[in-house]
Amino acid sequence: MKIRTMGRLTREGCKNLFRNGWMSFAAVSAVAVTLLILGLSMILSLNVQHISSNIESQLQINAYVASNYPAKSLPALETKLKALPGVRSVKFVSKQQAMKEMKALLKQNQGIISGLGNPLPDEYVLQASNPRATPLLAKKVAGLPGIAKVQYGQSFIGKLFAVTNVVRDTAIVFVVALLIMGVFLISNTIKITIFTRRREIEIMKLVGATNSFIRGPFFVEGTMIGLVGALIPSAVLYEGYRWLVGNVTLFPPFTLLAPNDVLFEMSTILLLCGLFMGVWGSLVSVRRFLRK
Amino acid sequence: MIELQDVSKEYSNGVKALSGVSVRIKQGEFVYVVGPSGAGKSTFIKLMYREERPTNGHIFVGGFNIERLRERQIPIMRRHIGVVFQDYKLLNKLSVQENVAFALEVTEASRRTIGRRVKEILELVGLADKAHVLPQQLSGGEQQRVGIARALVNKPNVIIADEPTGNLDPENSWSILKLFERVNDRGTTVVMATHNRELVNATKKRVIAIEHGEIVRDEERGDYGYED
Ligand SMILES: Nc1ncnc2c1ncn2[C@@H]1O[C@H](COP(=O)(O)OP(=O)(O)O)[C@@H](O)[C@H]1O
Ligand SMILES: [Mg+2]
Repeated sequence: MKIRTMGRLTREGCKNLFRNGWMSFAAVSAVAVTLLILGLSMILSLNVQHISSNIESQLQINAYVASNYPAKSLPALETKLKALPGVRSVKFVSKQQAMKEMKALLKQNQGIISGLGNPLPDEYVLQASNPRATPLLAKKVAGLPGIAKVQYGQSFIGKLFAVTNVVRDTAIVFVVALLIMGVFLISNTIKITIFTRRREIEIMKLVGATNSFIRGPFFVEGTMIGLVGALIPSAVLYEGYRWLVGNVTLFPPFTLLAPNDVLFEMSTILLLCGLFMGVWGSLVSVRRFLRK
Repeated sequence: MIELQDVSKEYSNGVKALSGVSVRIKQGEFVYVVGPSGAGKSTFIKLMYREERPTNGHIFVGGFNIERLRERQIPIMRRHIGVVFQDYKLLNKLSVQENVAFALEVTEASRRTIGRRVKEILELVGLADKAHVLPQQLSGGEQQRVGIARALVNKPNVIIADEPTGNLDPENSWSILKLFERVNDRGTTVVMATHNRELVNATKKRVIAIEHGEIVRDEERGDYGYED
């Protein structure tokens, strides 16, 4: 196909957008709303993921050494801990250190513990290389001789993972349903414009137009609908999210991702989805009319 | 030029529109196809530009083996065959000039060629002064001239017309026929299905009569021959 022809078909497609003004408006709105919801759920799930990985990375196991455990065996115990599968880090906190930290925490009120000697045990702080394996690792640690007690956010962890899984799965289902709806809306819109132009297509075929020549304007129309339908929600979400991040103060681990980290990826995906919906919707609906 | 070898057409609903039709039409001939309504004239016409496909037999038009044609070659074939209809098949949103240019645009001709050819053709059919008018502001005869101009603009070797004067009064019918004769004088083959007894009887050309899907008569300088 010649460049000049492509130019012509592109102009035709754009003209059709305006000729079928209301239908085009409806299709663009449909795509825009679909992608706005898609973008929102993306921002939401990215941030939930971000916050949960914040929390996960802070998950730790506190393993307290039995008070009667001989100090000279401590290095051997540490070696054993490090050798456990799935351990990322092991840090030793001696009872003296623990006391210092406690005093620092209490500041001027440290008098209340001054008469007690040092009741604190030696302690190991461990992190699992996979945060989700924390409960399993804790169990293994507890089984080692010399460890008196193990603590980690038992009930909290289970709930956290359950919540993040549910959020992720619903987001996926939701997004797939939205995309299908978007394709359906576009192809319906284009079907209507084709229906009103059946006569034109019939005459085009009669005088010897190739299928790609006939398809051209519809392809352009679908692409434009998808493109505009993606740009609107991208811009709205970009401004909206920037405003949100700039105006809401949160404390770790509950922080939001930086706008530019989220928005570039999101706009790219919205644009691709918009183009996909537009092109697919238009080609699907023209195909039936070209067959005979 | 045009050859049908033992062609049959049965529609999907079981109607046998044509059976065992064989015809040969030479380059430059002028042929009427006559017969009562429902005889199979339109089917005969449609088979030639592959609007319909034969159930049996072979069809050759201007060097194209019509029933063997690949999907991609159909547009190329259509550019070599001009088709004219009873209902003109014009686009009402486009001006006369644009309707004619349409057939050239699909061939990716340059704008200069399109402008030149359209002007020539509109002069030939006598509509040069109505180039910018919309079809609905024209009389039936003038609309059919636009249809013929569009069929001619790609310089086809053959013009196929299905009852082109079916919607026209006698005066307009005559002027359309004169136009076809002029086109034919320049060497273009014309095949015209018609009900118009006066035209057929007055012009004495080859007549192919179809009844119940079969050719019952084929004579040079023939008559219409029915009392309908
Ligand atoms: N698309 C079609 N599907 C089924 N039957 C058809 C179709 N077109 C024509 N016919 C039938 O084929 C026969 C011949 O029709 P046609 O070729 O249109 O005749 P004519 O043009 O001579 O009036 C008629 O009986 C008609 O009803
Ligand atoms: Mg007919």
